[in-house]
Amino acid sequence: MNNKIIVFSMLIPFMMLSGCISESIEKKLEEEPEMPEEYQWEDDGELVIVTYDVTGLTDSMLSEFENQTGYEISITKLEDAGSILSHLLQYKGVQVSDLAIGLDNTYLQTAIDNGVLWEHFANFSNISESALTPYSGPLAVPFDQGYMCLNYDTEIVDGENMSVPTSLWDLTEDDWNGKVAIPSPETSSPGRAFMTATVDYFANDEDTNTEWTDWWTAMAENDAIITTGWSEAYETHYTGGYGEYTEGYVGDAHVVVSYCHSPGVEAWYNGNWTKSAALDLPRAAFHQVEYAAAIEGGNLDAASAFIEYLLSEEVNVNMPTENFMYSVLEDTDLPEDGGYRYHSTIPVQPAEVTAAQIAANMENWLEDWNTAMVAA
Amino acid sequence: MSNKYVARLAVGLYLSLIVLPLWLALDRLIWVAGFDAYSWLNSLDENFISQGVLEFTIIQATLSAILTLAIGIPIAWQLGRYSWPLQSLIRSILTMPFVMPSIVAAMGFMSIIGENGLDIRSDRSTWFTTLIIAHAWFNLALVIRFCEPVLSTLDPSMEEQMRLLPSGKTWWGRFRNLWAPILMPSIAAAACMTFVFSFTSFALVEWITLGENTLESMMADIGSSAGIKGVMVSKNELILGASIIQFSILIFSLGLMSWLQQRRQSLLPLVSENIVKTQNKKGWIIVLPAIVFAVLPLLAVLISSFRIREVDAGGSRQYWSTEAWNYAFTATNSLPSAWDALQNSIGYAIITLFIALPLGWMLALTIFDLEKRKPRLARILDISTMLPFAVSSVMIGLGVMLGMIKINPQFFYSLWFTPILAHVMITTPFVVRIMLPAIRSLDPSFDECAQILGMSKTKRFFLITIPMLKGSLIISSIFILAMSMGEFGASWVVTRNSDWTTLPVIIDSIRAVPYNNPMTVPAANAVSSVLMIIALLLFISTEKFRPKRDGGMF
Repeated sequence: MNNKIIVFSMLIPFMMLSGCISESIEKKLEEEPEMPEEYQWEDDGELVIVTYDVTGLTDSMLSEFENQTGYEISITKLEDAGSILSHLLQYKGVQVSDLAIGLDNTYLQTAIDNGVLWEHFANFSNISESALTPYSGPLAVPFDQGYMCLNYDTEIVDGENMSVPTSLWDLTEDDWNGKVAIPSPETSSPGRAFMTATVDYFANDEDTNTEWTDWWTAMAENDAIITTGWSEAYETHYTGGYGEYTEGYVGDAHVVVSYCHSPGVEAWYNGNWTKSAALDLPRAAFHQVEYAAAIEGGNLDAASAFIEYLLSEEVNVNMPTENFMYSVLEDTDLPEDGGYRYHSTIPVQPAEVTAAQIAANMENWLEDWNTAMVAA
Repeated sequence: MSNKYVARLAVGLYLSLIVLPLWLALDRLIWVAGFDAYSWLNSLDENFISQGVLEFTIIQATLSAILTLAIGIPIAWQLGRYSWPLQSLIRSILTMPFVMPSIVAAMGFMSIIGENGLDIRSDRSTWFTTLIIAHAWFNLALVIRFCEPVLSTLDPSMEEQMRLLPSGKTWWGRFRNLWAPILMPSIAAAACMTFVFSFTSFALVEWITLGENTLESMMADIGSSAGIKGVMVSKNELILGASIIQFSILIFSLGLMSWLQQRRQSLLPLVSENIVKTQNKKGWIIVLPAIVFAVLPLLAVLISSFRIREVDAGGSRQYWSTEAWNYAFTATNSLPSAWDALQNSIGYAIITLFIALPLGWMLALTIFDLEKRKPRLARILDISTMLPFAVSSVMIGLGVMLGMIKINPQFFYSLWFTPILAHVMITTPFVVRIMLPAIRSLDPSFDECAQILGMSKTKRFFLITIPMLKGSLIISSIFILAMSMGEFGASWVVTRNSDWTTLPVIIDSIRAVPYNNPMTVPAANAVSSVLMIIALLLFISTEKFRPKRDGGMF
């Protein structure tokens, strides 16, 4: 109940402000987009989507699009958002795909800066301003969003056996030795998002003697479990999630980097029950937005048609149940069923890092992160 | 066109096929990372992702070689010195793991240590041991193939004479003074090859351990972001550094192996197996567990493909069903059907056969021809044909991927043929290694007689050469098909950037689906079972044509 009051009180100023902003966005989006003259493409009746395992792209949803538009879809499935960016950069100037789905705001600006995206001409007008905060230009459209934050197992981290951390530094103490699982920012987009949050967290904490890299060194020294991807961290290592019911479960981490609404997903699957909770530390959560973007040289008609379809109400409102992410449409929320909404946390004060800062600094941050981890 | 030109064409084609993609890949990596070999090598120490990887790679490969010998030598001894009912079947079962695709082996061992088996996977300390045992399972055949022929044909009178000497009175004395010197080159050769295969292990390391990497699996993990100017530059340095180290170690190991192979050519008196072998009922204590060990992972794969997990509020349980088979063989938008992968794999294997077999044969003929006239050049060409062994399949995959991006990405991306390039690179050296001894053993007098009798060149080729080389040609063909069907490392790298997939790659893709999908594990095992059955059928076919006293690894 308390959570609801906090969230609602947070949303009031947001909603008041959103009226003004969304009106201007709406106006901007409704204007007839002008295509740059140099754009040339061929509508061959096919749509090649390059994506990772975005569960929201269900067979029925894709078939519906094919029936509605006559386009034939084929999917090139890569591992994660980073692989999508690599694919776009490696095949720059070569028309092998039409639409990228799954680049997030930690990767998008690099794609834009490298000129691998085209302006789409999809029409829509109902995207929430929070989804447009990291990027609102014409080269990419948000299709889902969520907050990355630490999750913890409430049965073990119950305040008696183990204290609930109140600072990221707590996780560097002996009690947490080998008990925190974090996907690597070098190979995983959730890992990259969390690393970005730590940059902001430590830039704004009271301690001026330590840097964000010192925390990562301390974590490495405290045997933090650094995994290749999110699945390995959450399914294999985390004790608070569904991993314990899966093959290959190890269960040695009581804190993991995941989404702030992951406990809600757990509850939704388990009949309003979960032992997992999000840890809402100020500036330790990262607002992740995922984008659909037309690829340079691709079939812009087909890409724009699909973006429009993806942003349509009939498809996008299903993001929480089909893709386990928030919809980007205005006035939408997670479903109340099965405790999905109740067990999901909206961070009070997420990290504030702009897309421009990310684009300008990401390579350096990754190098600094690497140096910090090696120093341990 | 004369034979000379055909031979030159084959050599030119092969070298360009091997060298060109690797050269282009190197060129692209250096374009991004800069030309600074010291910095490349140093990057292994300076990157978190590569910390301890070299040590891990060497330690696991060394321990794998030791365990393989520890398990393999007693088995080879039993097979070599004693007679067994259904001897050839037992030998086939024990050497079969070597032809199994590594991804099938990985799935098999995961099933054994998983919930349906020993249920020890949750214990982190078991992963390393499992990996070493899996490598020993995979390479057991090498010890048997190298040592058994020596053991089974050595004149027993030598041991009897040894017994009369003071230094041969005890079992240990005979072992030290007779068997060890005779067997040592074969044992060392088997150890050497086991080390090489374990050193470049990818699928087994990727799946059995969590978070551990060999140089090979690390390069595969970071390979997707390689070759992009200004992005993850340090990873390009890392790939270059890892490649140099891997190439040097593998070249050294293969050189050692080649030297040991020469020493294995024994001048000791040989006799028929029938004279050497006696009955040994106690030996079943070793042979029976060995058979179980060889078969268990494969049975585990098959059984696990029918076990589906069901989770509800009361916990999780398993039930029997064929649902996973339906799931694997039905296409979805996120995963192609295993049928598509099967068709691709069969197509790739057949086309690889049509390219690699004549190419390998021509290369072997050229080496044989040069051995008489220009032995040094023959040696150089012989070593060059082994180059892909030292480059490793992931490097070959990266070479093809970065090479095709450099030449014409648009063309290669949509070209179904692309993965075949990698398969030809990987299988051709095996053809050379199988065909060369066969060509050397051909008696030229048959051909000379036919020539005197006025038989045309074409007729002699079809009526004399082909029938005489039939066995080796069939073994080469089956080997190409098996290698291509089961190839994982290069295909994994190449197909990620093309429209196509293969059976081993789709197994990996299915198993990578989050485990809250109850079909993930059994469906991966269902496709593994198909690949396993294909490999078994091909292996059984090979065994029919294998020469009796075959001391090679293939």
